[in-house]
Amino acid sequence: MPLQYKLEDYYRPESMKQAVELLSKFGKTAKVIAGGTDILPKRQQGAKFDTITHLIDVSNLELNYIKKNKDNICIGAATDINCLATAPVFHQNSYRALMEAAEAHSTNTIRNQATIGGNLCNASSCADLALPLLTLSASVVVTGPKGNCTMPLDTFFTGPNCTALLPGEILKKIIIPDYKENAGSSFIKLKHHQTCVDMAVVNVATQLWFNENRCKRAMIALGAVWPTSFLAKEAADILLGQTLSKKLIELAAKLAADSSAPINDNRATAAYRKEMVTVMVKNSLEKSWKRSGI
Amino acid sequence: MKNKNIRMNVNGEWHDLTVTLQDRLIDTLRDQLSLTGTKEGCGEGECGACTINVNGKAVLSCLMLSVQADGAQVQTIEGLQNRLDLHPLQTAFLSESAVQCGYCTPGMIMAGHALIKQNPNPDEAMVKKCLANNLCRCTGYEQPVKAVLKAAGEMRRQTR
Repeated sequence: MPLQYKLEDYYRPESMKQAVELLSKFGKTAKVIAGGTDILPKRQQGAKFDTITHLIDVSNLELNYIKKNKDNICIGAATDINCLATAPVFHQNSYRALMEAAEAHSTNTIRNQATIGGNLCNASSCADLALPLLTLSASVVVTGPKGNCTMPLDTFFTGPNCTALLPGEILKKIIIPDYKENAGSSFIKLKHHQTCVDMAVVNVATQLWFNENRCKRAMIALGAVWPTSFLAKEAADILLGQTLSKKLIELAAKLAADSSAPINDNRATAAYRKEMVTVMVKNSLEKSWKRSGI
Repeated sequence: MKNKNIRMNVNGEWHDLTVTLQDRLIDTLRDQLSLTGTKEGCGEGECGACTINVNGKAVLSCLMLSVQADGAQVQTIEGLQNRLDLHPLQTAFLSESAVQCGYCTPGMIMAGHALIKQNPNPDEAMVKKCLANNLCRCTGYEQPVKAVLKAAGEMRRQTR
């Protein structure tokens, strides 16, 4: 049965300029569509996107790429998630969390359609790809009527399903800084039924970067335990400048759990989620430590 | 209801079609082109029954608007058979008894087909991962996994 919603028009612009013009013209009634895996099921259930009457398809804007530059990696916003899961560059220990998150994201067929930009712009608090990108201090490049602007990813999420994108703006690419040697990252996802289509009950990503054997950079990102994906900065900061030990990692994990504020829902209780944050942050930090080669 | 004209290649043949903005690709395939081999299960991307190949990749036809497929190369279960000869995947599903009610079968076969195209020599773990998106409520999963592995072997033998 065809979808039951009011859609007045669909556009597939050939240039970014055209896309921005269309988005500006239709304002809040317009929505960008890339893979469509978030928009279409929600439209079927009604409500959420009832005000959307114009879809702007970004598949002809050449936003499907992964480019390794001298000091960063750029990912086009319409790059499908399977590309991230299979790109050799993300097999390196410093970026492994991104590959693991891409692999943990839903199923093979959905990953062929769903895009990294869609996962970020949908801004679900349990979005898998948001976490490794937060730990890698990724920034996002946004194009709008006033031109391009770059912002850190941790300012991009402003609330559940809300981003800093203004009407007329479109996410163009994601930039990840280069982490050379002695860095390790990992991603862990806990699911309710442990089937591949499940959303995360809790998901965690960490990244550690060492100078000799002291930790010079530590990042812990948590999902599904706060209205948005977020960095547990206080917990990560206690690792800075330290020689890591099991005890220190356990303390950071405990602090990370303290900084979370999960809710009770049909997937898990708040108390269980909090407990799991402690376990998962500990495991993820240990993995990242091991991967850093220190 | 607004109509759009699209052109897409389905199973090797170009079609000029008029679709509404509400039509998903599965609606157009089944209702306009009478390609009813593709099944709709959940209609929201959970069950994999509507899996087809678009531009060489396995995708869900319930999560794609027909207008998005303008210009695309689409392959459905009907496009696998060569005249009267069944595709090795279809033969393997029959010989391995990987079909009971058959509703999930076209989706499983199309998912397996995309995998074998990408990797002609998949191992069991790869096949299981590939079919993880396809729910079956009667046969189970052991036989379909065996069937995809058998078909991959047969296809390697044929191209040798």
